[in-house]
Amino acid sequence: MSPLATPDLTERELDQAFGALSDPTRRAILARLAEGEAGVLEVAAPFPMSQPAVTKHLNVLEDAGLISRHRRARQRLCRLEPVRLKQLSDWVGSYREFWEESFERLDELLEDLQSAHEIDQSKKQKQKQKQNKTKGEAR
Amino acid sequence: MSMTDTETEIITPPGEPVIHTRRFFKAPPELVYRAMTDPEYVRRWFGPRSLEITVCEADLRVGGRWHIVHRAPDGTEFGFHGDFLELDPPRKRVGTFIYEGAPDHVATETMVCEPVEGGTMLVATMVHDSVEARDMHVASGMEQGILDSYSRLDELVAEAQAT
Repeated sequence: MSPLATPDLTERELDQAFGALSDPTRRAILARLAEGEAGVLEVAAPFPMSQPAVTKHLNVLEDAGLISRHRRARQRLCRLEPVRLKQLSDWVGSYREFWEESFERLDELLEDLQSAHEIDQSKKQKQKQKQNKTKGEAR
Repeated sequence: MSMTDTETEIITPPGEPVIHTRRFFKAPPELVYRAMTDPEYVRRWFGPRSLEITVCEADLRVGGRWHIVHRAPDGTEFGFHGDFLELDPPRKRVGTFIYEGAPDHVATETMVCEPVEGGTMLVATMVHDSVEARDMHVASGMEQGILDSYSRLDELVAEAQAT
């Protein structure tokens, strides 16, 4: 529920990127690529799935702009595209910022309300004391 | 985390269309509940300072509607509204939440003010439907997983921009 814009990303790009990230295998692939570029076989190695299945995941990540693929000599390499990831983290960050700043303001308001409440209470108490005193005097 | 830690905890369990927010406040539940529900108070804290609140209304009854509109410095307005489903002060409030930029998506928010030592633990649970659900779900994956090291990411961005 962040009203704070989606900088540079269209709704479709956001959907696509978030869709790509909504899968644990694809997140694990990105985590691996965050350490540096890697060959397709190397990326596939930790997963108990076929090479074509991993390739499908890589296609989804590439379509979402989260990775790119290129060839070096005979090797097919995958590389993280950090700009898209940064755009997404900014987008998520704005949600956190929205609430953090709101809650800090709420802290201040609560402090104000509490001191007002305390003044109110002590006024009431004094009034009570005064009333009791008058009652006592009336007797 | 100590009880007086005022860090905002945002948790989105993977695979669930849910976002949990936890935050400690140094005030009793009665006050936190009121400050979070009564429009007279809500307009004084909801949203960043850079956004002006142009509308802040709430009909504090079950079935009653609340409505908030923010205006950004460039004049863009963001509206939110919903209905109260349960009002049980000072502990619990349940309501719907609709961002007017995406009016087809209705989220349900449950707010609980737990009395804890020295104040209140606010526990808000927002249950989204499909699209929002996915966004939030993924936000959790990002927060807890691959984006563990923001600094590393910043380095990578700088690197990518240099090439």
